[in-house]
Amino acid sequence: MKKIMILLVLGIVLSLATVHAGGKAEEKDGAAATPQKVELKVFMSFPRFKEQFETYFEQFKAKELAEKNIDVTIKLEMPNADQANQILKTRLASNDAPDVFTLHAIADIPSFYEAGYLSDLSGQPFVNYLFDSVKKTVTYDGKVVALPLESLSWGYLYNREIFSRFNLTPPQTLKEMEEVIAVLKRNNVTPFLLAFQESWIPQLMMALSLGGVVSSENPGFIASMNAGTGSYNDVRAVFAIIDLIMKNGSAKPFEVGSAAGSADFANGKAAMWVQGPWMAETILKVNPDMQIGVAPLPVSNNPAGAMINLATSTSLAVSPESKNRQVALDLVNYILDETSSAPLFEALKFNPVASMHTYESFPWVEEASEYVAKGKAYQDLPLPGGVTGETAKMLQSYYTGSVTQEQIIAALDKAWADSLKTASN
Amino acid sequence: MKRLRENTILLTFVLPAFLFYFLFVLVSASGGLYYSLTNWNLLNRSYDMVGLANYVEALTDDPVFIQSLLFTLKYVGAMVVLQNGLALLLAVLVEGRKKDKPFFRTLFFMPNMLSLIIGGFMWMFIFTRVLPYVAEHTALKFLDQSWIGDPIFSFYSILILSLWGGVGYLMIIYIAAIQGIPAALLESAAIDGAGPFQVFRHISFPMILPAVTIGVFLTLNSSFKVFDAVYALTGGGPGRATQVVALNIFEEAFHMNNRYGYASAKAMILFLIVFLITMVQLWVMKRRELEA
Repeated sequence: MKKIMILLVLGIVLSLATVHAGGKAEEKDGAAATPQKVELKVFMSFPRFKEQFETYFEQFKAKELAEKNIDVTIKLEMPNADQANQILKTRLASNDAPDVFTLHAIADIPSFYEAGYLSDLSGQPFVNYLFDSVKKTVTYDGKVVALPLESLSWGYLYNREIFSRFNLTPPQTLKEMEEVIAVLKRNNVTPFLLAFQESWIPQLMMALSLGGVVSSENPGFIASMNAGTGSYNDVRAVFAIIDLIMKNGSAKPFEVGSAAGSADFANGKAAMWVQGPWMAETILKVNPDMQIGVAPLPVSNNPAGAMINLATSTSLAVSPESKNRQVALDLVNYILDETSSAPLFEALKFNPVASMHTYESFPWVEEASEYVAKGKAYQDLPLPGGVTGETAKMLQSYYTGSVTQEQIIAALDKAWADSLKTASN
Repeated sequence: MKRLRENTILLTFVLPAFLFYFLFVLVSASGGLYYSLTNWNLLNRSYDMVGLANYVEALTDDPVFIQSLLFTLKYVGAMVVLQNGLALLLAVLVEGRKKDKPFFRTLFFMPNMLSLIIGGFMWMFIFTRVLPYVAEHTALKFLDQSWIGDPIFSFYSILILSLWGGVGYLMIIYIAAIQGIPAALLESAAIDGAGPFQVFRHISFPMILPAVTIGVFLTLNSSFKVFDAVYALTGGGPGRATQVVALNIFEEAFHMNNRYGYASAKAMILFLIVFLITMVQLWVMKRRELEA
């Protein structure tokens, strides 16, 4: 009997709690003068920019209250980038979608769109400000489905000071790269920094070399892979530069992660590092005087193959299930506000993505932009997420010598086929 | 009638724990069983039942999974022998101390109170910074290995971390068992002129066999499911050289193509393997135990 009583009490307490929680959301309508209360759930994979975004959202709240008489509360959730994707997917799958969330433009948009988790933002005011090249990266199925936050002009990093000490310029072909390596070695400078502890870093080599090879020699590669007729065997040339880097890299790469790697690179332990400009802030923290250069990775003896990768990574999307859709859209539009947006993007050290971003960019961004202006650039290849993950593991194994090029080709072909299988249901 | 009442009382005591176990383990496990028959990708709103296709693929067309199974078996083998052996050795040594017994007991048990993830980061520092430094400044040149980056040595690093974290717990079990041996038996053996080794071999060891059963059971169980030690130390790397099954499942579900249904099927296979092996182990060892 007592047990039943306890259960009853428990049940009552629980139901009271839910009623209470439900009650809160329904306090919307009141007298016309009292502001309407709205709670927005915002999910961003930017713990390193928490402060900047919190300040920015405060500005947004003030604006929304003044213009529309809406009192917005923002529940900001900022998990680490490497867990954010899992958390977000679980939240979406359990019908607990945040109103506004970040996702990766190239890797996530297709699958999220197909599953119906992205709103069509094509008619939103912010779209008019976007640069065309950036707009392309967040357009899917003819619709703009996200607001680009981080856009990149991406190549490998090099130490300008070391390069100028030996009168070197960034090589454009494999042959020139070999000469640069020879000069560096003669002067006891390690040519490449290897930091392979986190598998996404060795993966960057393949991303850049595949981009170069595909864009300059095999433009039909992605289409043929998606049709199930292609194979990585068609782009076997990607291994030439990878072999060269691995052979001329620093020792014990598996003990070095991205943080330790940044410190090593900032301290001049090697002349080049296949990483990206997103590490600039970390590197400059270690050595504020470091002169970072960004150059396209040569992939063959054809200088046209050395190209800068144009990519959009983190982007902002609105859930179609949002109960406060209009406020969510206001928030997204405010990210590219005519006056407030430029200071935000500058503070975050992001590249300009829209016409109001007129601030002066960093020297390495300028350097990469010069290559882009010369047409030596391509749009980031749309690889399935599973293939990128597989590449990461395979390149680690390739360094230790436990897999051959043949095995890598077979594994990547299988990963691609698997991703087609899962995407098609 | 009395028996029924007794059982009801006992069950009531178990009820709170069972309730949580039911809600958070059994219910979710049956969910896993259900998803293992689908091709859900964690994101799509709809998915199809694919029957046993996931199981067939895991066992016949997934060399990475099989390789991770083999690596896990190797790890389990090493752990069962080393963890129990070391725990028993420590238990005997600690029991042999007089005054400082509690001190050593606490000392060896301490790592067990830390999460293996934290332990993993500590040992990562030791393997990548301390040992090379020691090798550089002393004559112990053999310590200068790529402890995390070399497939062979990273296996040893994982073993060292797991043993460091796990031995203390088993040691406590063995200490309890040793203390449970009737003193009369040991004394009469001593009077009969048995040496310390003979006493251990013919009296202590048979008397603590029930504890060994538990120890082997616990080690088997936890080593098959090992995740945190490997995740914190090598992440399964370099490449997939140290990828254990749990890590392979995690990767399949959350990192690669999000084949959630397929990953659930692999998890079910792992469950069946652990279930079968531990059942056989319990059955075999129970038969050999003595009643004190």
